[in-house]
Amino acid sequence: MDFAIQTIISALSFGSFYALGALGIGLLFSVLRLINFAHGDFITLGGYALIVPSSAVVAAALIGGFHPVLVIVIIVAFVVILALLTYFLIFQYVQNSSPATMMIVSFALGYTLQNIVVMIYGGRPKAVNLFPELTGQVQLSDGVGVQILQLVIIAVTWILLIALVLFFRRTRAGVQMRAAAEDFRMARMLGVRGKRLIALAFILSGALAGIMSLLFVTQKGVLTFEMGVPIMLFFFIATVIGGMGSLVGAVVGGYAVGIASVVLSAVLPEDIRPFRDACVFLIVIIVLLWRPQGLVLKKASQERV
Amino acid sequence: MLLSVENITVHYSRLPALRNVSVEVDEGEIVCIVGPNGAGKSTTLLSISGVLNPTSGEIIFDGQKINGMNPETVARAGISQVPEGRHVFTTLNVEENLRIGTTIRNDRAEIEKDFKRVLETFPVLAERRKQSAGKLSGGEQQMLVIGRALLTNPRIMTIDEPSLGLAPNLVDRVYETLTELRRDRGLTLLIVEQSSERALKSADRLYVLRSGEMQLEGNTADLQDGEKVRQAYFGFEEGTPQEGGVTF
Ligand SMILES: Nc1ncnc2c1ncn2[C@@H]1O[C@H](COP(=O)(O)OP(=O)(O)O)[C@@H](O)[C@H]1O
Ligand SMILES: [Mg+2]
Repeated sequence: MDFAIQTIISALSFGSFYALGALGIGLLFSVLRLINFAHGDFITLGGYALIVPSSAVVAAALIGGFHPVLVIVIIVAFVVILALLTYFLIFQYVQNSSPATMMIVSFALGYTLQNIVVMIYGGRPKAVNLFPELTGQVQLSDGVGVQILQLVIIAVTWILLIALVLFFRRTRAGVQMRAAAEDFRMARMLGVRGKRLIALAFILSGALAGIMSLLFVTQKGVLTFEMGVPIMLFFFIATVIGGMGSLVGAVVGGYAVGIASVVLSAVLPEDIRPFRDACVFLIVIIVLLWRPQGLVLKKASQERV
Repeated sequence: MLLSVENITVHYSRLPALRNVSVEVDEGEIVCIVGPNGAGKSTTLLSISGVLNPTSGEIIFDGQKINGMNPETVARAGISQVPEGRHVFTTLNVEENLRIGTTIRNDRAEIEKDFKRVLETFPVLAERRKQSAGKLSGGEQQMLVIGRALLTNPRIMTIDEPSLGLAPNLVDRVYETLTELRRDRGLTLLIVEQSSERALKSADRLYVLRSGEMQLEGNTADLQDGEKVRQAYFGFEEGTPQEGGVTF
């Protein structure tokens, strides 16, 4: 029983994390048809911003040592600005190119960002102790121990999901963004400012990445310049599974991938467990053969013009 | 002149889709451009809206050169287009579609008044306010996109083939609405159609476009017998359609 509850909480927390990542990618894809492979590296850079830039092995906290509220605000702002800069310095100039071109540009950007990290901080992993109080256990009513951080990840995700739903339903900019996601040219012909809207999508995507930096670094306790790569792969798979271009799909896909990973770890026999990710990918392939358009059917998919 | 398109040439590829095309629309007028499929009618409207950029020529709106501006700036200047195929946002509900039309405005009180007025003009939209716009019939969608364009409070509205895919009685309703809009609020209209029949009935002036070139321009009052229009449209002097035959 204990094990079951722990597994469920763990699956939900993994799923939440992947859902946030898939949303960050889905937001840009919906208005720009960009699959931003640098998204994982945005998360990495948000993590490195916590510490003093130096190649010393032991990381000294910089922003990470501030008051928690300040840490959150500064890191989120930092990643938002980073995301916006990539738009105004790079993606802006390829936004009318094919999705493949944009994707390759994002790959190049990702590698560049990783190398910048290596140049400034060196290539070796760095231990970071962020929000240590969150990595402890909390006893649920019947004495089951669960990591506080997992509950925090789930809660933060649902707060963000609700905030995003309200944004898309209730605000002018949100409705405009949905319109532009469906038919960018028509939205512009009605006066929606295309560049501003895309910039807003980068802001939202960057804010999600910033929050994920904090969650991820707290969880891992260590920074590596490549840490964004494997998670990005899972985010990407989550968006594809959910149905490219549907934000609901991104969330569903994120949970599907997260839950599948955790459940497989729990139920796979000991000697197959190291191949868990391979098993997840196998399931992904089967899902896509069964539903090539993704789990959630989007109502409209139109080429952006 | 409120809008004048002056000798524009537009290319998609090496061959021009429009060659030295000029169109003028005065305040309060209903002007129609007719021409067969592929004539360049949509290209003309898309150029006016800043979606396409002419390789030569100028587009002047209210004394200001607008070619080279992007679509949102043109919309903000006061030109609202209902493009071919209507382009409702099917993932938005009816009200949200209409609200997108108010994007460029900040006059809240006026927006609400106009919003009510549009719902009065198109009662069917009021009934389906919260319904997904993708679920509307073709006629209802046409009403929706006209309403949406109206809510931008345009100085001129351009409409690309409003009758496309609609039953004749619905087409009558759409044109009735358009002429009422002109009568009641002095709306200026530039309408594109394949058939000249409706244009000769509803417009003040008519242009005939064929193969990317302007063939004819005139007051509809002078063209009522249809002969000149037919020649311009088909591009030959003799061999007009048989009696009682094809209307176009
Ligand atoms: N996106 C496009 N790319 C290339 N050629 C186009 C495109 N759109 C239209 N054309 C060509 O331009 C010409 C005019 O098209 P269009 O303006 O759509 O005509 P109409 O609206 O009168 O039917 C046609 O020959 C058409 O094939
Ligand atoms: Mg056309």
